[in-house]
Amino acid sequence: LIPQGKVPASCILASAPSEKNLDTWRESGCRTTHCNLEVLQESTLVFLATKPHVLPGVLQEIRPAVGPHHIVVSLAAGVSLQTLQRLLPAGTKVLRLMPNLPCVVQAGAMVFARGSGAGDSEAALLKHLLSSCGLCEEVPESYINIHTGLSGSGVAYVYLFAEALAEGAVKMGMPGGLASRIAAQTLLGAAKMMLETGEHPAKLRGDVCTPGGTTIHALHQLEKGALRATVMNAVEAATNRACDVAKD
Amino acid sequence: AGVLAAHKITASSPDTDLPTVSGLRKMGVNFTVSNKDTVKSSDVLFLAVKPPIIPFILEEVGPDIEPRHIVVSCAAGVTISSIEKKLSTFCPTPKVIRCMTNTPVIVREGATVYATGTHADVEDGKLLEQLMASVGFCTEVEEDLIDAVTGLSGSGPAYAFTALDALADGGVKMGLPRRLAVRLGAQALLGAAKMLLESEQHPGQLKDNVCSPGGATIHALHFLESGGFRSLLINAVEASCIRTRELQHVADQEKISPAAIKKTLLDKVKLESPSLSVASANKVSLFSNKS
Repeated sequence: LIPQGKVPASCILASAPSEKNLDTWRESGCRTTHCNLEVLQESTLVFLATKPHVLPGVLQEIRPAVGPHHIVVSLAAGVSLQTLQRLLPAGTKVLRLMPNLPCVVQAGAMVFARGSGAGDSEAALLKHLLSSCGLCEEVPESYINIHTGLSGSGVAYVYLFAEALAEGAVKMGMPGGLASRIAAQTLLGAAKMMLETGEHPAKLRGDVCTPGGTTIHALHQLEKGALRATVMNAVEAATNRACDVAKD
Repeated sequence: AGVLAAHKITASSPDTDLPTVSGLRKMGVNFTVSNKDTVKSSDVLFLAVKPPIIPFILEEVGPDIEPRHIVVSCAAGVTISSIEKKLSTFCPTPKVIRCMTNTPVIVREGATVYATGTHADVEDGKLLEQLMASVGFCTEVEEDLIDAVTGLSGSGPAYAFTALDALADGGVKMGLPRRLAVRLGAQALLGAAKMLLESEQHPGQLKDNVCSPGGATIHALHFLESGGFRSLLINAVEASCIRTRELQHVADQEKISPAAIKKTLLDKVKLESPSLSVASANKVSLFSNKS
């Protein structure tokens, strides 16, 4: 948010129990504190970024200070809007956000869902702010676990694929460092084309395949390995796991 | 298909007892047992015989081939150059076209490709295209692609029949009567193919259009992907194409004395049904041989 200039650093107050997490914030120019209540007193838009099991305790703590002007955004995985609303004053504007790792390089994929107290303007505000970190879309709460399986965990699938690409190149004689960089750039470029052209990936794939050429030979290998089904299995497994974890 | 009047067609077969023969006669096609007569009265000659018989036919009709004749071969694996070579002993510039079609020409939904030989003009190709377009899709290709075409659309109907049989089994398993299951399966494939042909969209997009989130179809597709459905189909097309090339190679390699071939094959021809037709006149194609 800060590099994009959306919010001046001085307007951001970060709270954490110990010093170690606060250094990074201070380096960006933000104010810091150890007092959660202070954050509620100083701020309108409040992000709750604790581990899920810690969250209920934090909510109890801040509840007395939460008012109708506050917008509370929870990033805690598996903690439902219903739970959040139950632990906060009735009618509080609550939203639930699920980002992914590349938000740190402003190329994230985020989805958020609004609670019953949150309206269009809160949703619009969140979307506007977070778009500086990447793609940000409002969704029904039921999509959040799917987003975890697709994009939250999905980042790891991409790292795995990139590693394998590079290994293939190394096998064929290219040095590893170079292979890795090229693998990453290939993924980046392909993704960029998908996003910018809006074309169906199947069409883009076909465009790269000259008859009898190298690409179609390689794709045949991928199909033989049932790559598509395996990837579908992965998304399904992560989504199901997210649902299971949420129930605990 | 109404492209050519039946009386302008002449068909020839050594064996007159074949069902194909009576079928042709019923349509009003002229019939003869003499290949030579056929050649004399025709402009376009379709050689719809099994590949080993081609050399024979060419020997037999070669002397009567004139510059106006267009010789069209549907024989799998028989190259244009081999036909041109054979005919050049009789005629300096024989017009040869090689084509590959498939069985659904029977219902006018064939897929046909053709490659033109050294002395065939653009108009000759266009004439053939016009004829074959009356029974389905027809387009010109480079000869070296014909094996791939065989793998895809030549053998393709067999893949489809296999798929349809299995789809019907699925329907029956889930409670449908067999006849209905077959009918619905066939219609589903027909409809999907038609949608694709009439759409600008990529088949991947059309697939997506059918898959509502979390719905029945996407669950089913996951099964297909898990089974390597796509790669099986790629493998099939590849295998058919490679086999076609192998057979052609084998045919090229074989050095059997013409006399030996003549005796065995002629006997075979009398016994089997060759659906031999050397058709002619200004147009028409009758049945192609199964390859």
